[in-house]
Amino acid sequence: MIGTFLAQASNSLTSAEFDIPENIAFAIIAGLMLFSAIKTVTTGNVMHAALYLVIVLAGVAAIFILLGSDFVGATQIMVYIGAVIVLFLFGIMLTKASLGDDDSVEDERRTMGAIVGVLLLVVMGYALIDTFSNEELVFGEPEQVVYVVTESTVGDLPGPVVEALPRLAGFADDDVVTISEAEFDSLVPEVQRRVPGAEVFGNTKQIADSIFGQYIVPFEAISVLLLAALIGAVVVARKE
Amino acid sequence: MMLNQFLLLAAALFCIGVYGVLTRRNGVLVLMSVELILNAVNINLVAFGAFQDNVMGDVFAVFVIAVAAAEVGVGLAMVLLMYRNRKSIDFSEVDLMKG
Repeated sequence: MIGTFLAQASNSLTSAEFDIPENIAFAIIAGLMLFSAIKTVTTGNVMHAALYLVIVLAGVAAIFILLGSDFVGATQIMVYIGAVIVLFLFGIMLTKASLGDDDSVEDERRTMGAIVGVLLLVVMGYALIDTFSNEELVFGEPEQVVYVVTESTVGDLPGPVVEALPRLAGFADDDVVTISEAEFDSLVPEVQRRVPGAEVFGNTKQIADSIFGQYIVPFEAISVLLLAALIGAVVVARKE
Repeated sequence: MMLNQFLLLAAALFCIGVYGVLTRRNGVLVLMSVELILNAVNINLVAFGAFQDNVMGDVFAVFVIAVAAAEVGVGLAMVLLMYRNRKSIDFSEVDLMKG
Protein backbone atom coordinates (compact mmCIF):
# COMPACT_ATOMS: atom_id res chain seq x y z
CA MET A 1 0.00 0.00 0.00
CA ILE A 2 2.67 2.41 1.02
CA GLY A 3 4.84 1.07 -1.75
CA THR A 4 2.24 1.79 -4.40
CA PHE A 5 1.72 5.25 -2.97
CA LEU A 6 5.42 5.93 -3.11
CA ALA A 7 5.56 4.56 -6.63
CA GLN A 8 2.76 6.87 -7.71
CA ALA A 9 4.37 9.81 -5.97
CA SER A 10 7.68 9.07 -7.59
CA ASN A 11 5.95 8.92 -10.94
CA SER A 12 4.64 12.43 -10.47
CA LEU A 13 8.05 13.73 -9.51
CA THR A 14 11.32 13.36 -11.29
CA SER A 15 13.64 10.78 -9.85
CA ALA A 16 16.18 13.37 -8.78
CA GLU A 17 13.59 15.15 -6.65
CA PHE A 18 12.45 12.00 -4.93
CA ASP A 19 15.42 9.90 -4.06
CA ILE A 20 14.09 8.90 -0.65
CA PRO A 21 16.89 6.71 0.76
CA GLU A 22 19.57 9.28 0.13
CA ASN A 23 17.51 12.05 1.66
CA ILE A 24 16.68 9.96 4.72
CA ALA A 25 20.36 9.13 5.15
CA PHE A 26 21.23 12.78 4.74
CA ALA A 27 18.66 13.85 7.33
CA ILE A 28 19.93 11.35 9.90
CA ILE A 29 23.58 12.22 9.29
CA ALA A 30 22.96 15.96 9.27
CA GLY A 31 20.93 15.89 12.46
CA LEU A 32 23.54 13.84 14.24
CA MET A 33 26.30 16.14 12.98
CA LEU A 34 24.57 19.34 14.04
CA PHE A 35 23.73 17.96 17.48
CA SER A 36 27.30 16.75 17.99
CA ALA A 37 28.81 19.98 16.69
CA ILE A 38 26.72 22.04 19.11
CA LYS A 39 27.71 19.72 21.94
CA THR A 40 31.36 20.05 20.88
CA VAL A 41 31.34 23.81 21.33
CA THR A 42 29.12 23.90 24.42
CA THR A 43 30.01 20.91 26.58
CA GLY A 44 32.04 21.63 29.66
CA ASN A 45 34.10 18.45 29.61
CA VAL A 46 37.08 18.69 27.25
CA MET A 47 37.24 14.94 26.70
CA HIS A 48 33.55 14.82 25.80
CA ALA A 49 34.13 17.63 23.31
CA ALA A 50 36.79 15.54 21.57
CA LEU A 51 34.48 12.52 21.43
CA TYR A 52 31.62 14.61 20.02
CA LEU A 53 34.08 15.95 17.45
CA VAL A 54 34.67 12.34 16.33
CA ILE A 55 30.96 12.03 15.53
CA VAL A 56 31.03 15.26 13.52
CA LEU A 57 34.09 14.17 11.54
CA ALA A 58 32.60 10.74 10.83
CA GLY A 59 29.42 12.47 9.69
CA VAL A 60 31.43 14.63 7.32
CA ALA A 61 33.02 11.47 5.91
CA ALA A 62 29.55 9.97 5.46
CA ILE A 63 28.43 13.12 3.65
CA PHE A 64 31.42 12.79 1.32
CA ILE A 65 30.50 9.21 0.52
CA LEU A 66 26.87 10.27 0.01
CA LEU A 67 28.17 12.79 -2.53
CA GLY A 68 29.99 10.01 -4.39
CA SER A 69 33.48 11.01 -3.26
CA ASP A 70 34.58 7.82 -1.61
CA PHE A 71 38.28 8.67 -1.74
CA VAL A 72 37.83 11.95 0.14
CA GLY A 73 35.63 10.15 2.67
CA ALA A 74 38.28 7.51 3.30
CA THR A 75 40.94 10.20 3.57
CA GLN A 76 38.75 12.08 6.03
CA ILE A 77 38.39 9.01 8.23
CA MET A 78 42.08 8.14 8.12
CA VAL A 79 43.47 11.63 8.60
CA TYR A 80 40.93 13.15 10.95
CA ILE A 81 39.63 10.29 13.04
CA GLY A 82 42.87 8.38 12.82
CA ALA A 83 45.42 11.12 13.34
CA VAL A 84 43.97 14.49 14.25
CA ILE A 85 41.73 13.18 17.02
CA VAL A 86 44.67 11.29 18.50
CA LEU A 87 46.65 14.55 18.43
CA PHE A 88 43.79 16.29 20.19
CA LEU A 89 43.63 13.59 22.86
CA PHE A 90 47.38 13.92 23.36
CA GLY A 91 46.98 17.68 23.65
CA ILE A 92 44.20 17.29 26.21
CA MET A 93 46.14 14.82 28.30
CA LEU A 94 49.47 16.65 28.16
CA THR A 95 47.80 19.86 29.29
CA LYS A 96 46.14 18.05 32.13
CA ALA A 97 45.23 21.23 33.96
CA SER A 98 42.12 21.49 31.84
CA LEU A 99 40.93 17.90 31.77
CA GLY A 100 37.95 18.81 33.89
CA ASP A 101 35.28 21.34 33.16
CA ASP A 102 35.78 24.40 31.04
CA ASP A 103 33.07 26.39 32.75
CA SER A 104 34.94 29.66 32.96
CA VAL A 105 33.27 31.25 29.96
CA GLU A 106 31.41 34.40 30.89
CA ASP A 107 27.81 34.82 29.86
CA GLU A 108 28.58 38.03 28.00
CA ARG A 109 31.03 36.23 25.76
CA ARG A 110 28.54 33.44 25.10
CA THR A 111 25.89 35.95 24.17
CA MET A 112 28.15 37.80 21.77
CA GLY A 113 29.30 34.54 20.19
CA ALA A 114 25.73 33.36 19.75
CA ILE A 115 24.70 36.66 18.18
CA VAL A 116 27.60 36.56 15.72
CA GLY A 117 26.98 32.91 14.85
CA VAL A 118 23.24 33.33 14.31
CA LEU A 119 23.69 36.49 12.24
CA LEU A 120 26.31 34.75 10.10
CA LEU A 121 24.00 31.76 9.61
CA VAL A 122 21.07 34.01 8.65
CA VAL A 123 23.13 35.93 6.09
CA MET A 124 24.70 32.82 4.55
CA GLY A 125 21.44 30.89 4.62
CA TYR A 126 19.57 33.70 2.88
CA ALA A 127 22.28 33.99 0.23
CA LEU A 128 22.34 30.21 -0.36
CA ILE A 129 18.56 29.82 -0.54
CA ASP A 130 18.31 32.87 -2.78
CA THR A 131 20.97 31.57 -5.15
CA PHE A 132 20.93 27.77 -5.20
CA SER A 133 17.37 26.80 -4.32
CA ASN A 134 16.72 25.14 -7.67
CA GLU A 135 19.97 23.28 -8.18
CA GLU A 136 19.80 19.50 -8.08
CA LEU A 137 22.54 16.98 -7.72
CA VAL A 138 22.22 14.22 -10.31
CA PHE A 139 24.30 11.09 -9.89
CA GLY A 140 24.89 8.03 -11.95
CA GLU A 141 22.67 8.94 -14.89
CA PRO A 142 24.28 7.17 -17.83
CA GLU A 143 24.64 9.79 -20.46
CA GLN A 144 23.13 8.93 -23.80
CA VAL A 145 25.89 9.19 -26.36
CA VAL A 146 24.45 9.89 -29.78
CA TYR A 147 26.78 10.15 -32.70
CA VAL A 148 25.45 12.11 -35.62
CA VAL A 149 27.57 10.97 -38.49
CA THR A 150 27.92 12.94 -41.66
CA GLU A 151 30.64 12.80 -44.20
CA SER A 152 32.43 15.73 -42.63
CA THR A 153 32.40 14.27 -39.11
CA VAL A 154 33.45 10.76 -39.99
CA GLY A 155 37.04 11.72 -39.29
CA ASP A 156 36.17 12.57 -35.68
CA LEU A 157 35.03 9.04 -34.90
CA PRO A 158 37.31 6.36 -33.49
CA GLY A 159 38.96 4.23 -36.13
CA PRO A 160 37.08 0.97 -35.55
CA VAL A 161 33.78 2.82 -35.85
CA VAL A 162 34.74 4.23 -39.22
CA GLU A 163 35.69 0.78 -40.40
CA ALA A 164 32.34 -0.58 -39.30
CA LEU A 165 30.29 2.29 -40.66
CA PRO A 166 29.70 1.05 -44.21
CA ARG A 167 27.94 -1.92 -42.70
CA LEU A 168 25.20 0.40 -41.49
CA ALA A 169 22.16 0.14 -43.67
CA GLY A 170 21.51 3.10 -45.88
CA PHE A 171 24.70 4.96 -45.23
CA ALA A 172 25.64 7.00 -48.24
CA ASP A 173 27.93 9.94 -48.59
CA ASP A 174 25.44 12.66 -47.76
CA ASP A 175 23.23 10.74 -45.39
CA VAL A 176 23.03 11.54 -41.73
CA VAL A 177 23.19 8.38 -39.65
CA THR A 178 22.30 8.60 -35.98
CA ILE A 179 23.85 5.93 -33.82
CA SER A 180 22.58 5.50 -30.30
CA GLU A 181 24.85 4.25 -27.57
CA ALA A 182 23.39 0.74 -27.67
CA GLU A 183 23.88 0.55 -31.40
CA PHE A 184 27.39 1.86 -30.97
CA ASP A 185 28.18 -0.84 -28.43
CA SER A 186 26.74 -3.59 -30.61
CA LEU A 187 28.51 -2.14 -33.61
CA VAL A 188 32.01 -2.12 -32.20
CA PRO A 189 32.12 -4.11 -29.00
CA GLU A 190 35.88 -4.03 -28.98
CA VAL A 191 36.03 -0.25 -28.80
CA GLN A 192 36.81 0.84 -25.27
CA ARG A 193 35.20 4.22 -25.20
CA ARG A 194 35.06 4.43 -21.46
CA VAL A 195 38.02 4.53 -19.17
CA PRO A 196 38.40 1.04 -17.72
CA GLY A 197 37.01 1.01 -14.20
CA ALA A 198 35.10 4.24 -14.66
CA GLU A 199 31.80 2.45 -14.08
CA VAL A 200 32.91 1.51 -10.59
CA PHE A 201 31.41 3.69 -7.87
CA GLY A 202 33.59 6.61 -6.93
CA ASN A 203 36.11 8.80 -8.62
CA THR A 204 39.42 7.77 -7.12
CA LYS A 205 41.05 7.29 -10.49
CA GLN A 206 40.11 10.75 -11.71
CA ILE A 207 41.34 12.29 -8.46
CA ALA A 208 44.67 10.52 -8.87
CA ASP A 209 44.92 11.73 -12.46
CA SER A 210 44.22 15.29 -11.36
CA ILE A 211 46.55 15.35 -8.37
CA PHE A 212 49.49 13.86 -10.22
CA GLY A 213 48.78 15.71 -13.44
CA GLN A 214 47.14 19.08 -13.41
CA TYR A 215 47.75 19.79 -9.71
CA ILE A 216 51.25 18.38 -9.32
CA VAL A 217 52.71 21.73 -8.21
CA PRO A 218 50.20 22.28 -5.37
CA PHE A 219 50.76 18.66 -4.39
CA GLU A 220 54.50 19.23 -4.06
CA ALA A 221 53.84 22.46 -2.18
CA ILE A 222 51.63 20.51 0.25
CA SER A 223 54.43 18.00 0.82
CA VAL A 224 56.87 20.81 1.60
CA LEU A 225 54.28 22.36 3.91
CA LEU A 226 53.85 19.08 5.77
CA LEU A 227 57.62 18.77 6.20
CA ALA A 228 57.82 22.35 7.47
CA ALA A 229 54.95 21.73 9.88
CA LEU A 230 56.63 18.56 11.14
CA ILE A 231 59.92 20.31 11.81
CA GLY A 232 58.16 23.37 13.19
CA ALA A 233 56.07 21.35 15.63
CA VAL A 234 59.16 19.54 16.90
CA VAL A 235 61.12 22.80 17.25
CA VAL A 236 58.29 24.60 19.02
CA ALA A 237 57.36 21.82 21.43
CA ARG A 238 60.75 20.38 22.39
CA LYS A 239 62.25 21.02 25.79
CA GLU A 240 65.32 23.23 25.86
CA MET B 1 19.23 15.43 -3.55
CA MET B 2 19.40 19.16 -3.76
CA LEU B 3 22.68 21.02 -3.73
CA ASN B 4 21.35 23.42 -1.15
CA GLN B 5 20.94 20.91 1.65
CA PHE B 6 24.67 20.29 1.68
CA LEU B 7 25.50 23.98 1.49
CA LEU B 8 23.13 24.83 4.34
CA LEU B 9 24.54 22.02 6.47
CA ALA B 10 28.04 23.36 5.82
CA ALA B 11 26.91 26.89 6.69
CA ALA B 12 25.44 25.67 9.97
CA LEU B 13 28.64 23.78 10.82
CA PHE B 14 30.68 26.88 9.95
CA CYS B 15 28.62 29.09 12.24
CA ILE B 16 28.83 26.58 15.09
CA GLY B 17 32.61 26.58 14.61
CA VAL B 18 32.71 30.38 14.68
CA TYR B 19 30.69 30.36 17.89
CA GLY B 20 33.17 27.90 19.39
CA VAL B 21 36.18 29.98 18.40
CA LEU B 22 34.60 33.10 19.88
CA THR B 23 33.46 31.59 23.17
CA ARG B 24 36.01 28.95 24.09
CA ARG B 25 39.02 29.88 26.19
CA ASN B 26 40.68 26.46 26.36
CA GLY B 27 43.27 26.36 23.55
CA VAL B 28 42.56 22.76 22.55
CA LEU B 29 38.84 23.50 22.28
CA VAL B 30 39.54 26.54 20.08
CA LEU B 31 41.53 24.29 17.75
CA MET B 32 38.62 21.83 17.67
CA SER B 33 36.30 24.64 16.62
CA VAL B 34 38.71 25.57 13.83
CA GLU B 35 38.48 21.96 12.66
CA LEU B 36 34.69 22.32 12.49
CA ILE B 37 35.11 25.38 10.23
CA LEU B 38 37.57 23.59 7.94
CA ASN B 39 35.23 20.60 7.63
CA ALA B 40 32.38 22.90 6.67
CA VAL B 41 34.55 24.29 3.88
CA ASN B 42 35.37 20.75 2.76
CA ILE B 43 31.69 19.85 2.52
CA ASN B 44 31.18 22.89 0.30
CA LEU B 45 34.09 21.93 -1.95
CA VAL B 46 32.96 18.34 -2.40
CA ALA B 47 29.32 19.34 -2.92
CA PHE B 48 30.20 21.81 -5.64
CA GLY B 49 32.53 19.26 -7.19
CA ALA B 50 29.69 16.73 -7.34
CA PHE B 51 27.34 19.42 -8.65
CA GLN B 52 29.66 20.35 -11.51
CA ASP B 53 30.57 16.69 -12.06
CA ASN B 54 34.31 17.14 -11.93
CA VAL B 55 36.96 16.19 -9.41
CA MET B 56 38.43 19.63 -8.71
CA GLY B 57 36.39 19.94 -5.53
CA ASP B 58 37.62 16.58 -4.30
CA VAL B 59 41.24 17.44 -5.07
CA PHE B 60 41.05 20.71 -3.17
CA ALA B 61 39.25 18.98 -0.29
CA VAL B 62 42.19 16.58 -0.01
CA PHE B 63 44.56 19.54 0.00
CA VAL B 64 42.52 21.25 2.71
CA ILE B 65 42.63 18.05 4.80
CA ALA B 66 46.43 17.99 4.50
CA VAL B 67 46.74 21.65 5.48
CA ALA B 68 44.36 21.11 8.40
CA ALA B 69 46.48 18.22 9.67
CA ALA B 70 49.59 20.41 9.53
CA GLU B 71 47.73 23.22 11.27
CA VAL B 72 46.63 20.96 14.11
CA GLY B 73 50.18 19.71 14.61
CA VAL B 74 51.70 23.16 14.85
CA GLY B 75 48.78 24.56 16.84
CA LEU B 76 48.92 21.82 19.45
CA ALA B 77 52.69 22.26 19.71
CA MET B 78 52.10 25.94 20.45
CA VAL B 79 49.43 25.08 23.03
CA LEU B 80 51.86 22.66 24.69
CA LEU B 81 54.55 25.35 24.77
CA MET B 82 52.08 27.76 26.29
CA TYR B 83 51.10 25.21 28.92
CA ARG B 84 54.75 24.54 29.77
CA ASN B 85 55.56 28.24 30.19
CA ARG B 86 52.41 29.43 31.94
CA LYS B 87 50.79 26.30 33.40
CA SER B 88 47.59 27.36 31.66
CA ILE B 89 46.12 27.12 28.18
CA ASP B 90 43.56 29.86 28.65
CA PHE B 91 43.69 31.95 25.50
CA SER B 92 42.25 34.98 27.27
CA GLU B 93 45.36 35.15 29.44
CA VAL B 94 47.62 35.54 26.42
CA ASP B 95 47.50 39.31 26.39
CA LEU B 96 51.16 40.37 26.45
CA MET B 97 50.65 42.37 23.28
CA LYS B 98 47.44 43.97 24.50
CA GLY B 99 47.65 47.76 24.24
